[in-house]
Amino acid sequence: MDSVETTFPKLLMENTRQYGNRVAMREKYKGIWQEISWETYLDKVKTLSLGLLEMGLKGGDHASILAENCPEWLYADLAIQAVRAVSVGIYPTNSPDQVQYILDHSQSRIVFVKDQEQADKVLEIKDQLPLLMKMVVMDMKGLRHYDDPLIVSYQDVEDLGRKAEERDSEAFDEMVLQTDPEDVAFIVYTSGTTGPPKGAMISHKSDIHMIVKGLQPILHFSDKDFLLSYLPLCHIMERNLSMCMPLVFGYTINFAESIETVPQNIQEISPSFFAAVPRILEKLHSAVKIKMEDSTRFKRFVFRLWEPVGIEVAEYRMKDQRPPLAWLFLYALAYLWSFRPVRDKMGLLRCRCVMSGGAPIAPEVLAFFRSLGVHTVEMYGLTETCGTVAGPHRVVKHGSVGEPCGALEFHLSEDGEILLKGDSVFTGYYRDPEATREMIRDGWLQTGDIGKLDEDGHLYIVDRKKDIIITSGGKNISPSEIENKMKCSPYVKEAIIIGDARKYLTSLLQIDYDNVGNWAQNNKIPYTTYRNLAQNPAVYELIKKEIEGVNETLARVETIKKFRILEKELDQDDEELTATQKVKRRVIEKRFKEEIAQMYGAR
Amino acid sequence: MAELKKERPIQLEISDLSMGFGGIQATRDVSFSVHEGEIYSIIGPNGAGKTTVFNCISGIYRPQEGSIRFQGREIVGMKPHKIAHLGIARAFQNIELFRGMTVLDNLMSARGFLLPYGLFRSALYLGKCVREEINARDAVEEVIEFLDLQLFRKTPVGGLSYGLQKRVELARAMAMNPRLLLVDEPVSGMNLEETEDMARYLLDINEEMNITVVLVEHDMGLVMDLSDRVTVLNFGIKIAEGPPREIGQNPEVIRAYLGEERIQGRS
Repeated sequence: MDSVETTFPKLLMENTRQYGNRVAMREKYKGIWQEISWETYLDKVKTLSLGLLEMGLKGGDHASILAENCPEWLYADLAIQAVRAVSVGIYPTNSPDQVQYILDHSQSRIVFVKDQEQADKVLEIKDQLPLLMKMVVMDMKGLRHYDDPLIVSYQDVEDLGRKAEERDSEAFDEMVLQTDPEDVAFIVYTSGTTGPPKGAMISHKSDIHMIVKGLQPILHFSDKDFLLSYLPLCHIMERNLSMCMPLVFGYTINFAESIETVPQNIQEISPSFFAAVPRILEKLHSAVKIKMEDSTRFKRFVFRLWEPVGIEVAEYRMKDQRPPLAWLFLYALAYLWSFRPVRDKMGLLRCRCVMSGGAPIAPEVLAFFRSLGVHTVEMYGLTETCGTVAGPHRVVKHGSVGEPCGALEFHLSEDGEILLKGDSVFTGYYRDPEATREMIRDGWLQTGDIGKLDEDGHLYIVDRKKDIIITSGGKNISPSEIENKMKCSPYVKEAIIIGDARKYLTSLLQIDYDNVGNWAQNNKIPYTTYRNLAQNPAVYELIKKEIEGVNETLARVETIKKFRILEKELDQDDEELTATQKVKRRVIEKRFKEEIAQMYGAR
Repeated sequence: MAELKKERPIQLEISDLSMGFGGIQATRDVSFSVHEGEIYSIIGPNGAGKTTVFNCISGIYRPQEGSIRFQGREIVGMKPHKIAHLGIARAFQNIELFRGMTVLDNLMSARGFLLPYGLFRSALYLGKCVREEINARDAVEEVIEFLDLQLFRKTPVGGLSYGLQKRVELARAMAMNPRLLLVDEPVSGMNLEETEDMARYLLDINEEMNITVVLVEHDMGLVMDLSDRVTVLNFGIKIAEGPPREIGQNPEVIRAYLGEERIQGRS
């Protein structure tokens, strides 16, 4: 397949022909995993898209989806694409203002919302959205007495579609035939660590090209895989994994019951492929560490006893070699005695691969998963390149994001910036030609990330170009590397390194409330709130010890001389984090100016 | 909206209810009626007799005088379990759950009284029992979904936070498949967030499932936001009844709550 001739709605029809009654999705409802077949999937998309057509949605229009992950999200996504309209995902955690920005900027005609909570947000801002025709509500609970003309229930749209289908049963098939690979399929709004979010337009062609040429050689999916969908679907990573890639490979997607039950659901499903952002993997890692501390002495002993075996075998596997028989034998014992139960508890028992993406992760965290016998893949990508730039193809190297993928032309500029070109580069930012021009110069996409290649062609990401700290001594330092090392500690949730144009490095950090709280309880230290805990001198000492540990692994100029524990938890609502929980450096440096000044105080 | 609900038939009618304990008269000639699908609140200072009224409705006390009619039927003198069968369920102020049992088991046992088979048949666990168990679980799951308790199905109730226990208590009453729900101080001792959640749930129960809700509550904000109508008791006597806005301005009610002198001081 050299050039892509298909679109996502076309793939859906093809898959239904091929798989028919096989399971496409599962959704936990009433405590039971209910199965949804490919036939139902197609049927649902068909009625919905005919319904949207009846409501007046046309090709080239835009429609947004503001919901938590659920099958209806995917139905809506594909139904919008089937009428050749463009689908836009919005984070369900966004505030009404942020929702308004995206609805307004994307010129959405229709918005899908999950429930009353999301509907209320839209109703609050509807006066400022003259283009918005209708709000389709998936779950009408609590909304029956609203009489706003904007509201229409999901059910009603389906009924409209069903009637249209009775009149003309071929309408949908013809419509899907019309969809063009060059069409923009969806817009992904970047989370925007700096400035307002920008809408990256992704076409069917560039995304499918990336999946087949770029992702598959790294991830090796088949129709036997089963994944849990729990990361926000409006992000390119989960969009690919839950919507696009099942259409290409035919694997099964499982939807978590609710956000709180994700850990439980992971354990129930034990997915064959587990994609996560660093924060989730850090959390799993520290959970095991903490549980081990609380466990019996014997269990702790067993865990530590077999750990080196896992590490040794992982060494061979990373080099894509077969471990010697003696090691394999020991590994089998270790697996039965230690790794298997630990992995079972984490929900990784059947997991063939853990993938980390979305942000840089500390290599130590991935090493931990490898030591339990799980294959790990750290990937690097941008929304603007359909989510992927590089990933380890066979050999895995500690701290590397693998080789550049085959779907893009890869080039390092003189100052080390990663430049890309090819079919999988995005179409442009919606209604922002300026930013598009800035991003693509002379045909090359400017990632703004600094990387370096080793002799085997493995890529190492240094940092964001604009985040690199230059100390007053003139040393270039990558803050994210140090921050990730600090976040490896179960007690540190978030760390921000400061030191640009300063004499030495300092850090602001947020403690992990659960884990530090647990530690405080075990040490009989009373506390009431996060703030109270953060101010406790004993906690300061605890963190100090953790940081000293990190400092030992760092070069002298990179060591953290002073630090402050933030007295509040960082929050998306306070604009300190993005919807993907990334820290907004600028905002934090401004907001905690005093704390920073104290650390560099003239004392 | 309140106007609309008024036209609906009366579901619960209480007339001249009097109940005394020895020398203390807890309620005296209290009368009010609740329409189908209404949210009806009973408020009043401590010791006003609110909970006594609830205890009379649910059959724990037998009032000395007066009548209580539920859907046209006299229920004074009926045993509590008979009243439950008619479709009146109650969520208690002091959480009345089996602390050592899981949330799911608590809810399942709340439905136990609806199951039509006896000890012998359930011991054999044949066709009908299995079907009934499945139906019961189905109904319980609906309540779990409704009140967002999915995470805690298998958690023993004793290990949950107070706010969650209150929610399970409400779920237990809901699992009994009621037509009328008596809710006794659902938000006492809760923080602001938990209170807001509870208000949301009560509204949803009322709107979505069309269950009449009779509420006893101290939190005035909650009462004023949710209720269609409010009755005020003071020392066992009804002193006012009406829509929340009127009640909030009623001088007698303000006096009962704030005391005589404060009012004079203010005016």
